[in-house]
Parts: sequence; C-alpha cells; structure tokens
Amino acid sequence: MRDWKRPAFVALWLAPAVVFLVVFMYYPIIETFRLSFFKSSGFEQEVFIGLGNYAKLFADAEFLAGLEHVFTWAFWSVAIQIPLAFVIAFSLTYYANKFTGPLKAVFYLSNVLPSAITAMLGKFIFAPRFGIVASLAEQFGWKWLGSIDFLGNPNLAFWSLFFIATWAYTGFPIIYMMAEIEQMPRELREAAELDGATGWRFARSIVLPEIAYPVRILVVLATVGSLKLFDLPNMVTAGGPYNATMTLGIKLYNEGFLKWNYGRAAAVGVVIFLLSLVFTIAQFTRGRKASEAK
Amino acid sequence: MSDVERMPRPRGLRIRHGVPEVIATIVLLLAGIMVILPLIIPWFFVFKTQLEYAYHPWSLPTRLYLNNFRDAWKSVQLAQGLMNTFYLCFGAIACTILPSAFAGYVFARYKSVATEIVFYAVLIGYFIPAQMVLIPLYKMSVSMKIVDSIPGVFLPISAFGISFWALIYRSFFRNLPKELADAAHIDGAGHSATFFRIMFPLAQPATMLALLLVFIGCWGDYMLSLVLLSDQNHFTMQLRVAQFLNQYGVSKMPKYAAAALISAAPTVILYLIGHRWIIQGALAGAIKE
Repeated sequence: MRDWKRPAFVALWLAPAVVFLVVFMYYPIIETFRLSFFKSSGFEQEVFIGLGNYAKLFADAEFLAGLEHVFTWAFWSVAIQIPLAFVIAFSLTYYANKFTGPLKAVFYLSNVLPSAITAMLGKFIFAPRFGIVASLAEQFGWKWLGSIDFLGNPNLAFWSLFFIATWAYTGFPIIYMMAEIEQMPRELREAAELDGATGWRFARSIVLPEIAYPVRILVVLATVGSLKLFDLPNMVTAGGPYNATMTLGIKLYNEGFLKWNYGRAAAVGVVIFLLSLVFTIAQFTRGRKASEAK
Repeated sequence: MSDVERMPRPRGLRIRHGVPEVIATIVLLLAGIMVILPLIIPWFFVFKTQLEYAYHPWSLPTRLYLNNFRDAWKSVQLAQGLMNTFYLCFGAIACTILPSAFAGYVFARYKSVATEIVFYAVLIGYFIPAQMVLIPLYKMSVSMKIVDSIPGVFLPISAFGISFWALIYRSFFRNLPKELADAAHIDGAGHSATFFRIMFPLAQPATMLALLLVFIGCWGDYMLSLVLLSDQNHFTMQLRVAQFLNQYGVSKMPKYAAAALISAAPTVILYLIGHRWIIQGALAGAIKE
C-alpha cells in the first residue's frame, strides 16, 4: 500500500514550493537574462540588440554613478558604521549595568522603523530652511549653518544620506557584536583583568580577534547591502542631485518604471546579480581560508 | 572556543569599574538619546498652529492642540495603509510557512536523489537579489492579472522567502528523533497525518521564528509594493508615507511632525511590546541576508 503512496506524497508536498519558485523566481531569472539582450519597452515589438543595452549602460553617467556608489557606500559603511558599532557594543557589554538592556533596545529601534519613516525623519532633520538643523541654526543665529542645503548640494547629499543610514542601520551590527561578545568565556575576561589588560586594550587585543569572523560577516552584509541600496536614497533624494546619491537599484527602477525601458533595466538587474555572485563567492572562499587556518 | 563553557554574565559577580563605568554609561546614554531624538523633537511642533510655529518654533507647547494630528491622519491615510500592510504580512506568512515546511519535511525525511536535486534547485533562490527579477515579475503580474492587488505582492515575497525557510525547516526536522515519526506510522497514521499531528507541531520554534521574520520583512517592504501597486486603495503603510513625503514638504512643519509621529507609532508600539523577540529573531535570522 505504502509503496505508491510515498512518491505521491513526496511529489505533492514539494509541489507548492516548486511552483512558487518556478513561477516567481526561475522563470523571471531567465526572462531577465533574455530581456537584457533586447530593446523592449513593453509597448512595441522587441528587437534583439545583443550587448547593446550593456554598451549603453557603461556609457551612461547615471549607471556609472550607481556602480561607483556600490563601492564607496560599502567602503564607508565598513570604515565608519562597523567600528562605531564595535565601540558601542563593546562598551555596552564591558560596562554592563541596568541601562544595558534598555540601551540595546534603543539602539536597535531605528533598524526596525520602515524605510519610509526613516526617510521622513531624515528629511525632517536635513530639509533646507525648515529642517531641524536649519531651524536650530536660525534660533542661534548661525547663518552659515542655516544656509547649507544638506540634501540639495551635490557635495553633501551623499554624506547626509550616509548619516541617515548610519543612524538607521548601525543597530544591527551593535546587537550582533553584543551577542558574540556576551558568548565569550568569562575566564578570558578574568585572565585579561589579572594581566592588566583592561578597557580599550582588552577590547583591541582580546575581544576584537575573538569576534573576527562575525565582523567579517558584517562586512559582507554591508557590501551586499550597498549593492541592493534602494529604499532610502529613492525616498530622500531620488538619486539626485546630479546623481550624487544614485544607486543601481534606483537606476533599475528609473529605466524600468519611469522610462519603460525594460531591456536596459533588465541589464542593470543582470549586473546586480553578477556582482552579488562575485561578492558571495568571495565570501565563501575567504570563509574557507579562515576555517583552514583554524 | 566551543569546548570552553560559555557562561551568561553572572550578575552577582559583575566586575565594577567605578569612574570609567560612570563616564561610559553617560556617553552611551547620550548616544541612545541621539538615536531617539528624531522621535522626540517632533513633539515640540505638533501642538502648534502653523502661525505659532512660525514665531516660536522651539518654545514648549502650551496647549493640547490636536488639529495637526487630525490633518496628518487624513493625509497619510494611515488606517487604510495599515490594514493593507497587515493583509500583506499575513498573506506572506501563510504562503511562506506552509510550502517551506512541506518542502523542508520532505528534504529531511524522504531523502532520495530526486529530493536532493530539488533541494539544491530550491537553494539557488537564496542567492537571487529581488531586484534582479523585478522587470519580469512586473510584466508577469500584469499578464496574470494579479498586478495592483495585495496577493500580487505577497505571492512573490513568499517565493523569495521559501528557499531560506525550507532550509531552516529541513535542518529542524532532521534534528527531531526519527522514532517519533516511525511510531506514528506504526499506529497507522498516514504520511500527512504524521506531519500535521506530530512533526509540524514539534517544529513550532522554527514556525515562530518564520512568523516573526516574515512579518518584519513585509512590514518594511517598499520596493516590491512600489512596483506592483498603483491603486491608492491598495497602498501599504510604507507607500502611504512615501506618498505623503512627495506631496507635502517640511514647510508645513507642525503637520509634517504629526505625520511622522503617527506613521512611526505602529512600529514603535509593536517594538515596545516585542523588542526582545524582535532582537532575538533578527540575530537568529542573521544568516538570511
């Protein structure tokens, strides 16, 4: 009896997942690759143009700005957000007291706010004339500060956005590192204390090497995150001014849904996919080297 | 390091640090205040009329003037946005958890060459960025006539989650004792009865985690809803807030501040209730991104 039931059961129970993935994932992946070789607007006949879309993209200032920002954004996230998170996470665990729990919750709060609300609060702070910075500057009579347009000045927009993102996203590295540091054996701390390695020396020479692997994961997350960056820059600055905050995600959205240039948008999607593949492979090979070293 | 006993911080034996601890705590508290400052400052403005604000933006509010909240509530249409967001979240939860649990169970308990091949095929989905498939997804939902509906958003969202959750359920079911299922079989329970009556309830920790993380993911979704929804009546909370951002500037500050507070309120309230689970869940799901 059970012999024919078993394969039927297996097939039936794999079916929902497989159908979901084929319809909403595998077919669209293949279709993205195909579309990227066509001139396609959705309204007219599709025309095969080979690598035409890619050639156009790599001569397109918007796309190149987006591509550049993948790396600059990732670099500054790693250079600023992760060290900042380490200092906070270490201080919170090293000087653990009754404020630690509430503070941890506070630091993570901005991570759970939906991006539209983060964007809203970012504009609230940085908007020209009426924003909080401008309004406070006026209150104190600092004309130079009040006249700065943080989001409209091409030299400042990237940094203003990065500041908002640091506010919004540093919570995760903080709680992640805290969880790792709290798992360290207490003997390490006591031994270090006896050897006179306290405070910052303890952090640098014992805690940091101990959490090297989680830090590496955070670096990978930051890199992949900057590849997918879309929500916040799209709502706060829409990639402007003069592409100062352009990202690949915004470029894809603009090509696909503002200019209805499906083929070119699909080509951006392929670039995002290939880059994420490179980052993932880099992550795995580095991870393997690390485990071999152990 | 794993063989050394990992101890939670014993509270009684806590090392005291005197002055450095006090200084560090004060600095951390100030940093914490900085983090929530954007949610505190709006309270200065929300109880003032536009005129009062123009003259005394930073004076303490003197009366309970609520028109800004009323205006902001109407402009953001938050009630409807929230309803749509909840619909989206629950749809995605239902469509992610069951297919993932089914597949994970088969991968763990009915292992064969065929299921292993399917398993690796499912795993590929884990490495695909959603942005890559955006254009075909949109074209497809137009032709499937599910564009501009909430199911049209949560079906693809579920598909993006299934790879990861099938993996989680697989490892969870693998770690459950095999004897349980065998005993049920001997008692005459069929394959699906064994799953529903015994195995799935035992996987409750995985299910709770999936519930929480899928909910949070949908709660914050912006890109897919932006692309797939165009009728305002289907807008999620995120899209309503984004729409407000496009329509109203910061120049009407009291109303803007009220809108910011109202829009942040549901998330802040949920976070106040569940921040422990949310933080734990975020850590457990860290490998997901």
